[in-house]
Amino acid sequence: MPNRATLTLMAIALAYFSATFPALAHTGEGYGGGFVAGFTHPILGWDHVAAMVAVGLWGAFLGAPAIWILPVVFPLVMAFGAVAGIIGIPVPAIETGIALSAVVLGLMIVFALKPPIWMSAVIVGAFAIFHGYAHGTELPATVNPFAYAVGFVISTGLLHLAGIAFGLLIRWPAGRVAVRGAGGLIAFAGIAFLSGVA
Amino acid sequence: MIKAWRLAWLPFVLAAGPAHAHSPIPGIKGFYTGLLHPFSTPSQVLLTIGLGLLAGGFATETERYRLVVFPISGIVGLVVAPDIAELDAAMFAAAFAACALAALVPGRLHVLAVVLVAAGGFLIGVASIPDDGPVRDRLFTMSGSIVGASIGLLYLAGISLAIRERYTWPWVGIAFRVLSAWLGAISLLMFSLGLAAGET
Repeated sequence: MPNRATLTLMAIALAYFSATFPALAHTGEGYGGGFVAGFTHPILGWDHVAAMVAVGLWGAFLGAPAIWILPVVFPLVMAFGAVAGIIGIPVPAIETGIALSAVVLGLMIVFALKPPIWMSAVIVGAFAIFHGYAHGTELPATVNPFAYAVGFVISTGLLHLAGIAFGLLIRWPAGRVAVRGAGGLIAFAGIAFLSGVA
Repeated sequence: MIKAWRLAWLPFVLAAGPAHAHSPIPGIKGFYTGLLHPFSTPSQVLLTIGLGLLAGGFATETERYRLVVFPISGIVGLVVAPDIAELDAAMFAAAFAACALAALVPGRLHVLAVVLVAAGGFLIGVASIPDDGPVRDRLFTMSGSIVGASIGLLYLAGISLAIRERYTWPWVGIAFRVLSAWLGAISLLMFSLGLAAGET
C-alpha cells in the first residue's frame, strides 16, 4: 500500500502529464538540428575525440593552473581556426595536423612531460587551429549556424572535461599508470589516423 | 507529506498558457516589447552575457558603480543612431572581446573592461532603435530596451558576483573562465559567419 506522499507525487505527475502540449517535432533543421549537428561533430570524429580528451589528460599531468588554462585557451584559439575555415583562408595539411595532435599530446601524456605553461598553451593552441578549421569548413549549409557553433563548442569543452576527470586519477599510483596508458592509446590512434589505417 | 505538497504548484506553472492581458497604460506595450528586445537576437544575448561575465569580475564597490556607463552609452547610441552596416558583426566582435577578457584576465585590465561595457551599451543602444512611428511609441520602446538591457546586465553581473562570493572554491572562478572562453569562441564564430555571409 503506497503511502500518502507517494500517492501525492503520482497525482502531481498525472496532472503534469495531462497538461502537456503537442511536441511539434521538426525535421532536423533550425536551432535543434543545428545544435545536434554541431554537438555531434566533434564526438563522431574519433580524431577529434582523441585529441580533445588528450588535452584534458595532459592538463591533469601538468597540474594547476595548466589543468584549467588549457581548456580556456583551446576553444578561443579553435574559434580562430574555424574563422579561417569559414572565410576561406587556406591552411595546409588539416587532417595531418589533427592526427599529429593526437600523436604529440598522447606522447606528452605517456612520458608525463611538463613543459612551461606558456609552451603547453602554444602547443595546444597550435593544434586547436587545425581542429577549429575542420569544424568551420564542415559546417553544414542547411543548419542554423548559431546553434551549430553552440553545439560544437560545448561538445569540445565536455570532451576536455571528460579528459580532466579521467586525468584526476593520477593522484593514485594505479591511476597514474592508467592515464599514461590512455595517453599511449591516444598516440597509437594518432599514428593510425596519420597512416590512414583508421 | 508536506514536502510532497510543496510541489503541487509545479504542474500549474508548467502548464501555463498565454495570459492575453491588456495593458492599462496607452503605449506601454511598446515598453514591454523594448524590455525583451535586447534578448531577441543571438548577437545581443551573447554581448549582454559576455559583459555580465566581465562585469562580474569587478571586485570593489567603486568598480561596480562604473557599470553606469552601460545605460548612458546605450542612450547615446539611441540618440546618435549611427548607420553601422554590420551591426551584428560588431556586437559579436564586442562579445568576443568581453568574453576573452573575462576568460584570460578576469578582474584585471579594469579600464579596458569599462570601455568594453560602454562600447557594448552603445551597440545595444544602436540595435534598439525602433522602426518609424509615433514619437511616443518609439520613446516607450527605446526606454524599455535600455531598461531591459541594463536590468539584464545587472542581473547577470550580480548572479556572477553572488555565486563567486557564496561559493569560494577555486573551481568556481575557473568554471566562469571556461564558460567565458566557450561564449567567446561562439561569438568569434558568429562574427566570422556574419562577415562570410556579407561577402557572398
